[in-house]
Amino acid sequence: MLGAAALLVLLGIVEIRSAVADNASLADSAQRQATFAAIGLVILMAATVIDYHFWRGLSRLLFVGIILLLLYVELIGTESFGATRWIQVGGITIQPSEVAKISLIIILADDIARNEDRLQTWSGILRTLILAAIPAVVILREPDLSTAILTMVLWAAMAFAAGMPPRFIFIMGGAALLLPFIALALNLLQPYQLDRLALFFMPDADPSGAYNIEQSKIAIGSGGWIGQGYGLSTQVQLRFLKVRHTDFIFSVMSSEYGLIGMTAFFGLLGFLVSRCLRAARLARDTYGALIGYGVATLIFYQAAFNIGMNLNLLPVAGLPLPFISSGGSSLWSVLLGIGLVESTILYRKDIEF
Amino acid sequence: MRTPSFSENRVQPSRIRFFLIGMTGVFAIFTLRLFFMQVIQGDYYYGLAESNRTKQTYVPASRGVVYDRRGVLLARNMPAYNITITPADLPDTEAEIEAVYRQLSQLTGVPIRVPGSVPSQECAPGRGIADLVDEWIELAPYYAVKIQCDADAEIAKVVLEKSADMPGVGVEVSPVRDYPNGRYTAHIVGYMGRVPAEYSDYFKEKGYNLDRDKIGYSGIEAYMEEELAGTYGSELWEVDAAGKEIRLLEPPVPAVPGKNIRLTIDARLQEAATIILEKQIEATRALKPEYLRSPMLGGVVVAMNPNTGEILAMVSVPTYDNQKFSRYIPIEYYTELATDISNPLLNHAIAGTYPPGSIFKLVTAVGALNEGVVTPDTPVICRGTISITQKFHPSDPGREMLFYCYDREGHGEISFLRGLALSCDIYFYNLGAGYSGPGGVKKGLEIEGIKQYARAVGYDRALGIELFGERSGLIPDKDWKRINQGENWATGDTYIATIGQGYVDVTPLQVAESIAVIASNGKVMKPTLIKEYLDGEGNVVEIHEPEMLYDITDDIHDELYDTVTVQPWVLKMVQQGMRLAVTEGTAADYAQIENIPTAGKTSTAEYCDDIAQSRNLCKREAWPTHAWYGAYGPYENPEIVVVAFVYDGGEGAVTAGPVVRDVLRAYFALKTIDLEQGG
Repeated sequence: MLGAAALLVLLGIVEIRSAVADNASLADSAQRQATFAAIGLVILMAATVIDYHFWRGLSRLLFVGIILLLLYVELIGTESFGATRWIQVGGITIQPSEVAKISLIIILADDIARNEDRLQTWSGILRTLILAAIPAVVILREPDLSTAILTMVLWAAMAFAAGMPPRFIFIMGGAALLLPFIALALNLLQPYQLDRLALFFMPDADPSGAYNIEQSKIAIGSGGWIGQGYGLSTQVQLRFLKVRHTDFIFSVMSSEYGLIGMTAFFGLLGFLVSRCLRAARLARDTYGALIGYGVATLIFYQAAFNIGMNLNLLPVAGLPLPFISSGGSSLWSVLLGIGLVESTILYRKDIEF
Repeated sequence: MRTPSFSENRVQPSRIRFFLIGMTGVFAIFTLRLFFMQVIQGDYYYGLAESNRTKQTYVPASRGVVYDRRGVLLARNMPAYNITITPADLPDTEAEIEAVYRQLSQLTGVPIRVPGSVPSQECAPGRGIADLVDEWIELAPYYAVKIQCDADAEIAKVVLEKSADMPGVGVEVSPVRDYPNGRYTAHIVGYMGRVPAEYSDYFKEKGYNLDRDKIGYSGIEAYMEEELAGTYGSELWEVDAAGKEIRLLEPPVPAVPGKNIRLTIDARLQEAATIILEKQIEATRALKPEYLRSPMLGGVVVAMNPNTGEILAMVSVPTYDNQKFSRYIPIEYYTELATDISNPLLNHAIAGTYPPGSIFKLVTAVGALNEGVVTPDTPVICRGTISITQKFHPSDPGREMLFYCYDREGHGEISFLRGLALSCDIYFYNLGAGYSGPGGVKKGLEIEGIKQYARAVGYDRALGIELFGERSGLIPDKDWKRINQGENWATGDTYIATIGQGYVDVTPLQVAESIAVIASNGKVMKPTLIKEYLDGEGNVVEIHEPEMLYDITDDIHDELYDTVTVQPWVLKMVQQGMRLAVTEGTAADYAQIENIPTAGKTSTAEYCDDIAQSRNLCKREAWPTHAWYGAYGPYENPEIVVVAFVYDGGEGAVTAGPVVRDVLRAYFALKTIDLEQGG
């Protein structure tokens, strides 16, 4: 698992290097990502070594902490692309919602493991739901719809793992599907969110917004069976593809490595997720298992959403491709997740604790 | 009870398996989608990626210029500065945009807004800067709209210098055609315009940029389009997303400039002929009572070298100023020309057809002598009139019909030379159609013979001059009349065809050609305007050799009739007759020039066209007449043929004679000047 994670991180750095494509303002992206990866590795090691039960005691504190952090961001954070998502900590920008994601896994794992039995009734379910919904609402107000949805998905997946009957999932999923229409009716979505949705359903409506999607399709399509080769994709190197080092890095890879390369990439990603799930199966308690399940969800959901967006199967949403996309916070959060999962494996046998 | 849940993993493996299966499913969908995009649609997307990154740029070729035979520029390229504004590049705020408008308006004098103006062509005056911007921001915001075309070079320079402070404003340099000789050579040089929609596919395929390139619409500009245009060079660039050119993907193909063309025209003679003709037309007009002044008084002068077919001057009056068309075609001026009844846009020398009248007797003369209808000495009696039987078929009893000579007194006993010199109609009726009365020629040349010899000297066909729109005219025959008039050929038809009336219809160029054939002892040269092709440095790259279509003294085969072989003595006799016309015949009083012996033939051709009819001019036996005169000189060693035609000009000798005389004078005077300068 560690090997797969390291491979993916390395791939990410390499791809970012290619995706920079002579853009001066991005020139040091690969180097920064390498630094982030090094720090991330330390985080991973630390998380591995620390018994995951240690976090359990802190979960309430953690919960209060992230809510405060998210509120703080909303008040004074750096605005970018119309959303306040970043804060500056000693020269590094941190995305508190990333911290929230991973913290929420610990908090929910603790809470759900504790209250497993209640998951059979509406009242019990709603009680844990509130735990996830509070940060989700705050994140939604940033506004960051896709991360808010992710927190709800994390909750649903972990509750499902803990034995919540599927009918609840269907009912709530159905209700969630209605939400956009309610939001639309109440005029709650931000204009750019509306634009993105509109763009997905009616790609011809806005040619300038459709540009990114069109170019990513061209980039992917031009990869063919074996790709154009590393650093040789014209779509990337001549900068036709935009936001190529973050949201559309999957298109960069598809263009460079082709169908065969990407199938291998799916295999690697799938392997990593399946190792998390294996850890979930092997964990010595439900708490540990839920961490594994939660981290697997975190990685897979983000990856699937990002890839789906690249393949124009899903609307454009600002979810990064885990391990690969440029950005410290998201890298650290998944590496921390891997560390936690490693920890459940490491402390699996130590039953007499 | 709680403790076990702490120490036990109660997550069901089935729910973990569910995740795994779900994930496998999702990745399978992704793989399928990738397969679809990368393999099945791969070529399509690869093509899109290639067209993204490649840009074919075209390097325009400079258009060839046109010289006269001595190197005077008749068509050249001049830089034109167009001041442009790109709506999309204008500043963001209204106030800043207004500031740009104000500054630009101050510099160029183009108003900011013209209330009530309507969209028209870009360069046409009358639109404000803001009007044009508002109009184009919808159509093509990134297109540089021309707000002032052909701006003063100084203004353009200032605008360019200040364009840094005026975002969106630019100066575009484009070559425009310039015609220094304007109206004098308009019909020969022609003018250019945008590629019309119906030809857009054809020219697009030839590599024309339809937005920018113009094509020749008329004259040499049109006929020599391919030679003048040259070919675009091309460069295949790799470009980045911003459109910046990164590198050349293929060795560039350099542009091939168009050929420069040297015409056979002498601009000086052309100008002189135009002025001479215009003056004569004015004088003729002035003599007429108001109600008789045809609205379409116009005329033609054609001067050619009989030995080579080179056209030295070709004037069609009224003319137009092609310089006014050099940048764009102004609708008002064009409409004015197009609706003028005398059709100034048409080159009447090649595209106007008229009855030739007596000048056509040259054909009858050649045919009759060559076929032995008469010998030069055969006497014919002219009593001023003959009576013939008008028959529509051989067994038709017919009815009597009178034909007159222009001289009702009659010329008495007359033979070939005097017949031609005095242009005796009765003499030529005899030659062409025969006359069974006393002193007549029993059997004439008949319409078949007339047509045969007319074709031999260049009538009834387009001669192939390098201009579009050359007409073939008409020499009638029996089949033609049956088909087109629904009537049998009548005896009288032959009589009037003999003297170039009736159905006979010719272009002034054909008349010049027929005289050139006689003057050159039978050589039928293809009339040409092209002398040679030159490269950019003025070196001759290709000489356009004179082309002889055939020689009528050789066996020539006509596709419609039998072989014609004209005996050289026949041509000599006709030449003598024409000489006699100048020395003591019809042209004697009007067309002689000092020191140079010339030979010629006058013609006063009756006509009754739509214009004459509409003005009720076609009165019985008093039809209006066109004036013709054609001559060559020097008589012994001809080097120039000049034909003048004046529409509704009255007497040929009186009106057209002096025009030819003065053009010949001008020609020989210029020749003297050139010889002096050369020596």
